[in-house]
Amino acid sequence: MTVKTEMTKDLVWPGLADPAHDSQRLFRQILGAMSEPGTLTTLALPAPPQAAPSDALGAALWGAVLTLCDLETRVWIAADLDSPALRQALTFHTGARITDDPVSADFALLTHESFDPQTPFALGSDTYPDRATTLLVVVERLANAGPSMLSGPGIETTRALDIGDSPGCRALKDRLAANRASFPRGLDMIFGCGAQLAAVPRSTRVDSREVN
Amino acid sequence: MDGYNFAYLDEQTKRMIHRALLKAVAIPGYQVPFGGREMPMPYGWGTGGVQLTASILGADDILKVIDQGADDTTNAVSIRHFFQRVAGVETTTATTAADVIQTRHRIPETPLRAGQILVFQVPIPEPLRFIEPSEQETRLMHALEEYGVMHVKLYEDIARYGHIATTYAYPVKVDGRYVMDPSPIPKFDNPKLDGNPALMLFGAGREKRLYAIPPYTPVESLDFEDHPFEIQRWEHSCALCGSDRSYLDEVITDDKGGRMFVCSDTDYCQTRRGDVA
Ligand SMILES: [Zn+2]
Repeated sequence: MTVKTEMTKDLVWPGLADPAHDSQRLFRQILGAMSEPGTLTTLALPAPPQAAPSDALGAALWGAVLTLCDLETRVWIAADLDSPALRQALTFHTGARITDDPVSADFALLTHESFDPQTPFALGSDTYPDRATTLLVVVERLANAGPSMLSGPGIETTRALDIGDSPGCRALKDRLAANRASFPRGLDMIFGCGAQLAAVPRSTRVDSREVN
Repeated sequence: MDGYNFAYLDEQTKRMIHRALLKAVAIPGYQVPFGGREMPMPYGWGTGGVQLTASILGADDILKVIDQGADDTTNAVSIRHFFQRVAGVETTTATTAADVIQTRHRIPETPLRAGQILVFQVPIPEPLRFIEPSEQETRLMHALEEYGVMHVKLYEDIARYGHIATTYAYPVKVDGRYVMDPSPIPKFDNPKLDGNPALMLFGAGREKRLYAIPPYTPVESLDFEDHPFEIQRWEHSCALCGSDRSYLDEVITDDKGGRMFVCSDTDYCQTRRGDVA
């Protein structure tokens, strides 16, 4: 795939070279990930610059942003991912509006380190549960291993998903497990680690038992 | 072929449908509103299904289109030609060869596999609409899981006919939560909705609603302990392929009242005839 680039302060944030076909291909991967929770998929596109002080957004989540965001969407960015370069790239490539108000965000960009269970993202309403924020979260790792078991729609029996051991990753797993109690309101999450992506929607049951 | 508007829809419309599809998959059986665009065909032709197919279809997908189980009806042929023209995709009549299958009123007899996507054309997405005309009220009923009226309707059938008379668009409950209209498929096809390895997407063009059943999702047909759900059965086997387990259509063979029963799924029937020939 060839790359169309935009220079922002000598950092290169790649766009989609062939918007119609690339966004279709990436969407089908994201749709597959959301339809079969916990399955890993690798998004083929150039990575954004690794310039952020902490974890960079990574190619997979940048690809999800390019695929899903446009001028009809509002995006919230956690402090540890926020930078003028990201804001410029987001605006230039998608036209999305950046918001400081998490409850008004269609998508939120964050990392496991900046995840705070108290952040008031939109959960949707009982009559319109779709009006909820989708979280795009950089995690420590993505592997189909470990003690966290997923089950529910999209999963034939169970599927293990390991996103990491940090306090933030544990908090993310707890938040996912809490989705069942508020269903159909809830948070859908798309996880990224480099070019790898996995998703866990609110319909998924998460066995969040801890191992010591 | 104009690469910029690949598959007819502009990119912004596709992104809007993409976002709605992710929500639909995350909340199985829930009807997500979407701001669909007008399609170059009348509503009765399945614009909702066409919009979903247009928004997910890729250049390397193989597409199958069926109408009442058949690949060769006017409706199926014109939708297939539409996508050949606007997306240049390869098409097939073979259920096993297709990546995306757009359907009106049937689920193929040949079991679907993981990775396939079945797109249903839906005329009326709201299963509670015939009880409650107000969208606001039906949304509230779904929110409160207030589905008793649906059982009352089915039970009135039992009181009147001795059995549940509903044979098409028979309501289902998805993953134990949302009551959903499976589109006007015969109830014969309802068991295929349960735990299917394929992703099933439903699009209603006029009402601009879409909904989904992810793979391997439990889907139960509403029924009663003393009147369990039953599918249609026939005394006959298919007159052409001999199948005793497919959905049969009665066709008139001559002007003297001659008739026979044949598979509604033309690909299934032809494949079986090829196999035994
Ligand atoms: Zn037959």
